[in-house]
Amino acid sequence: MNWTLDLLLMIFLVATAAAAIVLRDLLAAAVVFSAYSLMMAMLWTQLRAPDLAITEAAVGAGITTVLFIITIYKTVRKEGK
Amino acid sequence: MRRLLITGALALVGLVLLYGVGKMPPMNTRLAPDKTHVVPRYLEKGEEEAGAKNIITGIILNYRGYDTSGEVTVIFSALCAVIAILDREKKGRSRSGVDASAIQTSVIVKTVVRFSLPVVVLFAVYVILHGEPSPGGGFQGGAVIGASVILFTLVFGLPVSTRRMPPGSRIPLESVNVLGFLAMGFLGVALGVEFLTYLLPGIHGALADTVRSLMLTVIEIGIGVGGGVIFVSIVFTMIREDQYELQQDTA
Repeated sequence: MNWTLDLLLMIFLVATAAAAIVLRDLLAAAVVFSAYSLMMAMLWTQLRAPDLAITEAAVGAGITTVLFIITIYKTVRKEGK
Repeated sequence: MRRLLITGALALVGLVLLYGVGKMPPMNTRLAPDKTHVVPRYLEKGEEEAGAKNIITGIILNYRGYDTSGEVTVIFSALCAVIAILDREKKGRSRSGVDASAIQTSVIVKTVVRFSLPVVVLFAVYVILHGEPSPGGGFQGGAVIGASVILFTLVFGLPVSTRRMPPGSRIPLESVNVLGFLAMGFLGVALGVEFLTYLLPGIHGALADTVRSLMLTVIEIGIGVGGGVIFVSIVFTMIREDQYELQQDTA
């Protein structure tokens, strides 16, 4: 098992997760969250769960992001204090 | 003060989770999850009993068929909830309405999507039909199909997408996942055995295996097509509502 790739993926995973919480611009947060899902999908393949990887890439990185963006478009883009 | 409380609560949850992970039995020991309870039986006899080379498919559709029929219903209920709140797209509302695709998409994006979409859809069909012998299946393939149509809608606009996939062709397909599952489930009941039994009475030997894998494939296709169409309908309904509001504003 290639542990350097795993480590890199996990660092990016934590970084994107933290960024999605900290960012006040909700559109940016949605995009970062999509990147988080992509990292997660790659980690699933590393963990030998290709079923989950396909679902995560399609639902997490694709459909959920679209739903978030439509919702942001219909409401407000900035998070209130 | 509030920040401190939030940080404290998060740290507490994190500690509880880490403690839980620490308590998990180590891999490759007698207590590991793959060597306790029902899992050894799934691994040893799964292929023969559940009728699928991919053990995950066998567990999802056979050993835990009740669970999966519930999950299929959950996806369908999600669509019902969206329609109940946002109102189903009605005829004539958007035909003459504001064109969301008035925002110009770049030629590069359009070309890339035009070339990659057929490959994406082909992959989705492969994942659905190959769910029995290899990783994947209805849920996964359906999600990929849904994502591909939604990508097309984002790039080429809702009017073009609706023309290719009118509500008349979508609405009957939305319930195909639930109905397919129930039809296969009640096939056994109709022939006098239990609900969701793939081994029908009066069929033996090699034919029984064929019938079983045929039934599994029908369920997979139903879950895939139904799930994909439901995703598409949810997104279409959400975008459509937007256009309706825009029309109201300009009127």
